[in-house]
Amino acid sequence: MSVIDNLMAGLALVGNVDALVSLAIGIVIGVIGGAIPGISATMAVALTLPFTFPMQPINGILLLLGVYKGGIFGGSIPAILIKTPGTPASSATVLDGHPMAARGEAGRALGMALWASCTADVISNLALILFAGWLASFALSFGPPEFFALILFSLTIIAGVSGESLLRGALSALLGLLLATIGLDLVYGTNRFTFGDPNLMGGLNFIAVLIGLFAIPEVINMVWHPTGHMGKVQTLGSKWVTFAEYRRCFRSIVRGSFIGVFLGAIPGIGAAPAAFLSYSEARRKSPNKANFGKGEIEGVAASEAGNNGVAGATLIPLLALGVPGDVITAIIIGAFMVHGLQPGPMMFVMNVDIIYGLFIGLIFSSGLLLIVGGLAIRGFKPVADIPKRILMPIVLVLCIYGVFAVNNNIFDVGVMFVMGWVGFVLSRYHIPAAPFLIAFILGPLLEDNFRKAMLMSGGSPDVLLRGPITWFFWTLTLIAVVAIARGTLDKARDKG
Amino acid sequence: MNKRAIQVQLGIGACVACVFLILYAIPYWISAPSNIRNIVLSPRFWPYAIAGLTGLVGLGMLFAGRKEDADGTPANDPIEDPRAGLMRLAGMAVLMAVTFWLLPRIGMVWASMLAFASLAFLVKTRHPKTALICAVAVPLLLYGFFAHVAGVAIPQGEFVRLP
Repeated sequence: MSVIDNLMAGLALVGNVDALVSLAIGIVIGVIGGAIPGISATMAVALTLPFTFPMQPINGILLLLGVYKGGIFGGSIPAILIKTPGTPASSATVLDGHPMAARGEAGRALGMALWASCTADVISNLALILFAGWLASFALSFGPPEFFALILFSLTIIAGVSGESLLRGALSALLGLLLATIGLDLVYGTNRFTFGDPNLMGGLNFIAVLIGLFAIPEVINMVWHPTGHMGKVQTLGSKWVTFAEYRRCFRSIVRGSFIGVFLGAIPGIGAAPAAFLSYSEARRKSPNKANFGKGEIEGVAASEAGNNGVAGATLIPLLALGVPGDVITAIIIGAFMVHGLQPGPMMFVMNVDIIYGLFIGLIFSSGLLLIVGGLAIRGFKPVADIPKRILMPIVLVLCIYGVFAVNNNIFDVGVMFVMGWVGFVLSRYHIPAAPFLIAFILGPLLEDNFRKAMLMSGGSPDVLLRGPITWFFWTLTLIAVVAIARGTLDKARDKG
Repeated sequence: MNKRAIQVQLGIGACVACVFLILYAIPYWISAPSNIRNIVLSPRFWPYAIAGLTGLVGLGMLFAGRKEDADGTPANDPIEDPRAGLMRLAGMAVLMAVTFWLLPRIGMVWASMLAFASLAFLVKTRHPKTALICAVAVPLLLYGFFAHVAGVAIPQGEFVRLP
C-alpha cells in the first residue's frame, strides 16, 4: 500500500465524531490533571486507562494521547500562576513564567506557553510521522556509555539555570546529586543513607521533592513576610501575547521543539531535561540573556517548546520498536496490549491503518489543544485573583493531597515538608533550586549508566569513548564547558 | 547579611559538609560489600566523588567571597519585625510537624482543615470568614475527588470516618 492509501485508511478510522470527541475529552482531562499540582500527566493517563477498555482501540488510544498532551501543557498553568509545576516537565516554565505572573503578566505568559506548546506539538508530531523508523533505530543503538555521555552533557545545562553565581548553582546541583543517592544501591542493593527506614529504601519520591522545593517555600516565605506581596501585581493582566512576540520567540520555539524531539526519541530522558536544555539554549542565544529568570517571555516559550516537543517523539520508539520512551508511554503501551495490539515493526505491516489513524489524530490534537488550552487559561483566571493569604493555605492542602496520592504514602508528605524548608533556606542564601532539581533527576541515571558501563568493560574507562555517539556527546560537553568557562571569566572581568 | 557574607558562609558550610561526608557519613551510613575489586563499582564511589566536588566548590566560594565587595547592602528584602517573623517560622515548623503527626491519627481531611485554618491564622488573613469556609470546603472537595474519582485511599484516621 502507498502512503496515500495508508493515509486514507487512517482517515477512515479517525474521521468520525467519536474519535475527535475522545481526543478532545482526553485533552480536557489532561489539562485539568496537569494543572492540579501532584496529579501530573502520568497519574491522569493512569487514571484514564481503565475507561478505555470498553472503547474502540483507536478511540481509547487517542483518549490517552489527548490526556498526555493536555497534561504536559496543563502543568504550565500552576507553574506560572502559583509557582507550583503541575508536572515535572513544567519545572523550567516556573523560572520565567512566575516572575511574569508576579508582574501582572500571567495572561501573556500563559498565552505564550500555549502557542509554544502547540507549535512544538505540531513539530513533534511531524517528526514522529517523518522520522519514526530512522530515529528509533538510532535510539536503539544507545548503550550505557552513550547514555552516560548524553546525561553528562545534559548536566551542563545547569550552568544555564544557575542565575547570578555558577558556584552556587554547582552547590545546588551537588546537593541534588547527593540526595539522589539515598536508597538502595543500584548494583549491589546495599543501603545508602537509609538509616534502616524502609521508606527511604526506594529513594526520595521525586514529586515530593519537586513540590517541596518549588511550592512549599512560597508558603514559608508568606509566613516569614505575610505582607511582602502587597503592592505586587498577581493578576492575569490585560496584556495578551502578540503575534510579534510569538515571531520574536519563534526561533527558540523551533529550536526547543527539535531538542524535545531529539531527547524524546531516546527512551528514558523525559520532558523535564528537554525543557531545561531548551531553556538554557534559548538563554545562551538570546539578545535578552540578562532578562532570563526575571520574567523573559522567550524563556517561557523555550521551556514549553522543549517539554511539548517530547510528547510526540516519545511515541517514536513506542510505535516503531515497542519500547516505551517514558513512564506515560509505558502506561499507553498497556492500552495497546489490552486491545490486542503489539506496538513494534510488525504493527506497521499488520495495523498500518491504526498507525496512520494515530498520526492523523495527533495532528488534530494540536488544534484541539489550542482551543481547550485557551479556554483553560480563562478558566484558571480565578486562581490568580485569590488573595494570597487564602491561596497559600489552599496550596498547602493541595500539596498534601497531591503528594500523598502519588504513592499513597504519608512519609512522602514529610519529605515534602522537609524539602520545603530546604527550598526556603536555598532561597534565603540565593541558591537557585533548578540545578538541584535537574541533578536530582539526572543523578541516578548518570550513576546507573556509569556503573553499568564500568561493569560491561570490567572497570576500563575506555568504554566511555567507545563509538561515534559517545565521541559526539563528549565533544558537545567539552564545547559547553569551554563556553561556560569563557562566559564566567568574561563576567568576572566585567565586574572587576 | 550581604552577598559577601552569604558567599563565605556557604563556602565554609560546603567545606564542613565535605569533611563530614568523607570522614563520617559515607563510611558509616553507606554499606558496601567487602569483595569489590574495582573502586568505581563501589556504592561509596559516587557519594565520595560528590563530596569531593562539594569541597572544591566550597573552596571556590571562599575564594570568590574574598574577592566580592563587602558593600553592606543586605542581600534579602528586610522585614519590619524579624523577631515576629522568626516566631511565625517556628509556628510554621510546629504546624507542619503536628499536621504530619495528625495525618494517620485523625485522617487527612480533618488534619488538612486544621492546617488550613492554622496557616490562615498564622499569616493573619484579612478574610477570616472566607478562610474558615475554604478550610472546610477545600479538604472536603479534594477528598471527594481523590477518594471517589481517582480511587486513592485517603487516610481516614481513627475517629470520624467519611463516606
